[in-house]
Amino acid sequence: MRGTRWSGWLIAVPMTALAFATIYPMLFTTNVAMKTQRDYIIDRFSLSRSLQWDNLAGAWTTGGLARYFVNSLVVVAAAVAMLLLLGSMAGFALSHVRFRGSRALFLGILAALFIPFQVIMVPLARTMADSALIDTYPGLVLAYVAQFLPFTIYLMASYYSGIPKEIVDAARIDGNNLYGVYRRIMIPLGTPALLSIGILDALFCWNDVLIALLMMPSAEHRTLMVGVTTLRGQYSNDIPTFAAGVLIAAVPVLVVYLIFQRQIAEAVTAGSTKG
Amino acid sequence: MQSVRSAWAGRTDGTAVTSPRPLGEGQPASRRKRPGADRLAPYVLIAPAVLIIVVLRLWPLVLGVNFSFTGDGDRNGTPVGVSNYLELFRDPVFRIALRNVGLLVLLLPVAVAIPGLLATFIFLRVPGHRLFRSVYFFPAVLSPVIIGAIFNLLLSADGPLNALLGAVGLEPVDWLGEPKLAIFTVVAVHIWATFGMALVVFLAGFATLDTTLLDAARSDGASTPQVIWHVIIPGLSRTIQFVFVTTMIGMLTSMFGLLFVMTAGGPGGSTYLPEYYIWIQQGQMNRPALASAASTVLFLVMLVVGLAQVGLLRRSLRED
Repeated sequence: MRGTRWSGWLIAVPMTALAFATIYPMLFTTNVAMKTQRDYIIDRFSLSRSLQWDNLAGAWTTGGLARYFVNSLVVVAAAVAMLLLLGSMAGFALSHVRFRGSRALFLGILAALFIPFQVIMVPLARTMADSALIDTYPGLVLAYVAQFLPFTIYLMASYYSGIPKEIVDAARIDGNNLYGVYRRIMIPLGTPALLSIGILDALFCWNDVLIALLMMPSAEHRTLMVGVTTLRGQYSNDIPTFAAGVLIAAVPVLVVYLIFQRQIAEAVTAGSTKG
Repeated sequence: MQSVRSAWAGRTDGTAVTSPRPLGEGQPASRRKRPGADRLAPYVLIAPAVLIIVVLRLWPLVLGVNFSFTGDGDRNGTPVGVSNYLELFRDPVFRIALRNVGLLVLLLPVAVAIPGLLATFIFLRVPGHRLFRSVYFFPAVLSPVIIGAIFNLLLSADGPLNALLGAVGLEPVDWLGEPKLAIFTVVAVHIWATFGMALVVFLAGFATLDTTLLDAARSDGASTPQVIWHVIIPGLSRTIQFVFVTTMIGMLTSMFGLLFVMTAGGPGGSTYLPEYYIWIQQGQMNRPALASAASTVLFLVMLVVGLAQVGLLRRSLRED
């Protein structure tokens, strides 16, 4: 704010207050998770005098979060791998190859972007049940892929359309067929997009609760986020352990955010249409 | 979608995604013949994705609409005309859900103005702008389930927020227990959790602004509010429209986690939204056909929003 330095500082004050309000909930939860139950009842605000790793251990083992954590990890890894493979293949075909029906297919995929999960969840649950895919890992993976594939294709296609035609032509003259161009040009050159879109897809799948609730009814198949929703009932009298469970679910996302902040923001601004 | 270009401007050459550039064009047909396998290749590349999208996204939409005209329970599968829709609009809970959608539309300008204003200050390099940017965006990557669980603690009768009120001499408030207040509380938490998303979209839009225009306004002696009103807002009109539509879609389709954890639709059904109603009818009440009717109504609402967005897309493509 050139020329108006003091007004800049004046605006920075409420913005700092808001920044504090943005991180305070996480800090409060972390602090509570470190308290003993007794300390929490006496004074929930004071800085924890001890670090109660027991709370984290309790939520992890008796709370069942260990199991749910692994479930989430497996499902998210499989879904993201499939999303990136299918999304980059389709994105390449749609952005660099002209073939009969390509325009109609592109519009169809765009249309699928505007179908929210809530609108199709009833018939989808029935289809999945009919194919014996409900309450199975492949079923949930498939549901995630179907949910986030249009978004992934759209972003991959828009990224690939920025790769100059000359590069592709040169590879063709070198004797590559389309599969060769995909493998030798599109995968290596598409790495930045694959990384940021992959992270965003992983966050979407990791954070989801509605699809997981619908697709995985049995307790041992719960994902981490579904597991978190059950903590409150389990630990209604043990708030520190409840807070520890919430913390366990939040920390992986926090770590990913701190490392890949720039990539996440890039992918969000490239699409901005969440599922 | 202008933000596609702005975010990856360094790599893209402005080619519109909708006009794929052909391979092999410009080379004489006689010199390069396309073998049959290569002609099939694009279809092979796109087939798995198309199969999944058609079977698990587009076809269920048809099934669902069809399903909404059949019965539940004993009348499973038999056509019942529009009776599900009649029941739906007679159901006071669904009417609350629709009324809450109306409330979301009214609150939409607030949900857009907050990130817009903050992005403006960050763009104008308020002291600490880099830190603000990464701190504000953080809640946007957290699951609504985690946010709801944390706010259950923060908003409880003896939680920090009420302690703060007590410190300035105010009575504690039952944030999630008052039927008239609870929906506002949930929406406020949703805005708190998602404004960072809109913020980065705004900042990407700012990156495309013509800085010479800003400098010209400055050297003509324009004040900061004048610059915002006469230069920044007109220059960002497409980004602003885009954020409006995406924020609305977010409000209609990503509050389930918050409702599920914070209120379960209560108190007295006052915090129902269509998505939560669909879930309850399908999962708890075993009324899939009624749920399908509610889905169809939600889809019609979304269609209006989606068409508005396609219109924006088309207009922004034509302007280039």
